[in-house]
Amino acid sequence: MRAMLPSLMALLCVMSTYDLRAASPSSSLADVELSHESENLKRGAQFVLSMCTGCHNLTYVKYRELLRIGFNHQEVAELKGDNDINAPIFSPDIVEMTKSLFGLVPPDLSLIAKAREGKGRYIYTLLTSYHQNEDGSVDNSVFPGIRMPDVLSYSSTTDDQDRKVLEEQARDAAVFLEWTADPHANDRRTMGYYVMGYLIVFTFLLWFLKRRTWSQLEGK
Amino acid sequence: MARLVISWIDRRFPLTKFIKHELTEYPTPRNLNYWWNFGFLAGFVLVLQIISGVFLAMHYKPDALLAFASIEHIMREVNYGWLLRYLHSTGASAFFVVIFIHMARTLYYGTYRAPRELMWWTGQVLLVLLMATAFMGYLLPWGQMSYWGAQVITNLFGATPMIGDEVVVWLRGDFVVGDATINRFFVLHFLFPFLICGMVLIHLVALHYVRSSNPSGFNLDAKDNIPFHPYFTTKDLFGLGVFLVIFCFFVFFYPEFFIESENNIPADPLNTPAHIVPEWYFLPFYAILRAIPDMLGGVVAMVLSILIFTAMPYLDRSKIPGGSRYRPAYRILFYVFVVNVAVLAYVGAQPPTDAMTLLGRIATFIYFGVFLLLPFLSKHEEKWLLERGLSREVLDLIEGEESHERRRKATARREETKR
Repeated sequence: MRAMLPSLMALLCVMSTYDLRAASPSSSLADVELSHESENLKRGAQFVLSMCTGCHNLTYVKYRELLRIGFNHQEVAELKGDNDINAPIFSPDIVEMTKSLFGLVPPDLSLIAKAREGKGRYIYTLLTSYHQNEDGSVDNSVFPGIRMPDVLSYSSTTDDQDRKVLEEQARDAAVFLEWTADPHANDRRTMGYYVMGYLIVFTFLLWFLKRRTWSQLEGK
Repeated sequence: MARLVISWIDRRFPLTKFIKHELTEYPTPRNLNYWWNFGFLAGFVLVLQIISGVFLAMHYKPDALLAFASIEHIMREVNYGWLLRYLHSTGASAFFVVIFIHMARTLYYGTYRAPRELMWWTGQVLLVLLMATAFMGYLLPWGQMSYWGAQVITNLFGATPMIGDEVVVWLRGDFVVGDATINRFFVLHFLFPFLICGMVLIHLVALHYVRSSNPSGFNLDAKDNIPFHPYFTTKDLFGLGVFLVIFCFFVFFYPEFFIESENNIPADPLNTPAHIVPEWYFLPFYAILRAIPDMLGGVVAMVLSILIFTAMPYLDRSKIPGGSRYRPAYRILFYVFVVNVAVLAYVGAQPPTDAMTLLGRIATFIYFGVFLLLPFLSKHEEKWLLERGLSREVLDLIEGEESHERRRKATARREETKR
């Protein structure tokens, strides 16, 4: 067993090269705590559905799924407007409109958190990295030359207190978009604890079974 | 009642005989360590992949326009669809982890040597089939990395002399990776696992004919063999428990660890990602491909890097049985090889800068150098070990092997005279 340890370590080396690659681009992102409480999710949903869905679609999310993050039917009815409750948060007009306005179609937001290294942290950092250049033009330090406008007006806000409020909004938006990218994450983790508990106990039992079986061989 | 049923079956099918011969009386060396668990684990992962894959196929649509959305349908709307998909995507990586360890075990203990060459070669065929299956399966989510990975790898077949372009079009069914490609990759991704099952059967028949090797590399005396059941069934099950704890940790808590984030963007034939990387299990071979400046040369080197394992039984010329246990020089070579593969994997993941290309070339040179050095090293090592005198332990093992051999011959003679 001990003789094989180096090879196990080599294997870990292979695994860690993979990890290195994943970690490097996100190192410049803000180290922000994203808590998936119902309140944050709801505030984030309200923000995204009012500020972002004018230009971005959320093709894979349906209005009825909003019921799962704590909205009641009344609130969802208000958010969905004229749309069917089973319809995806998707508008075909956006594609044409944005194409003529910006020259490209903004990315769909349903999976955006998973599609970027750093997940929600990337979104938070992007939204709070707008700044004003000396000539008055606005740019983004995470994504220089970005064509998305500064929706939070972060670059023109200088007061610390006001910026705190905006950062709070960016955080909620990031939390909501992490949820849309992986809506079953909470169920998955909850189930994971039971599965791990079961497997650890079961593996211990198998170890005792193995030991008992092999003890018959002693002295033979 | 049960006994009646079994005896009814036994008159028509050798059920009891089979269980006795392959399980309850199947002699297995008692000194097998936990590195001998990984063949069983590979079999388990194969079954897991087939079962989760069949259920995924019930909801998946192999169509360039629908594939990406059908995966999201599985992830969001199918009951426990996310579990099926994460089991399958994590299972692919687990399969390679298990297979690479299984191969490393074989190399470390030299168990590819006579009479187990056919086991090693059927294992090689299994590795190639597994790689093909994994590669085709990776296209199916139709994300950016899926698409461009398939584009790059199918492009490599363009290096075929004379008919390169035709071969590429023939493989893709189109001039670029497209609807025709995803459809055929789906069909083949569904078919190949059953070919793998057939090959596994041959692998197992060969195993039960030549029997398990063991860490010493010598054939053990009969008294050191124990029945597979219950000793190794319990040992394998415990190993499975440990494996499942690690596996489920990734499935439930870090399921995206093995999924490139770029693959959450639908395939876009007009937009090439800045940095195309294959899945982690292809990285060492990808690094070898990139190390050679010429495309045809690169493809040949990459194919050779896998096929060269076939020659191992002939490259190892030492008369001292087994691998690293009693052969220090061989052991050093093994570790050089493993570390070098890790370096290649690292290089394969990096953008091709000058320094990386140089490192990749050195590592590629060492990769093949290890194989070419082995025939000379094994001969010199043998001479050196014999001059130094073998240890008591090895002499005992040789004696055990000889008595084993004598008894085997005696039984064979008895059988002969009986006939």
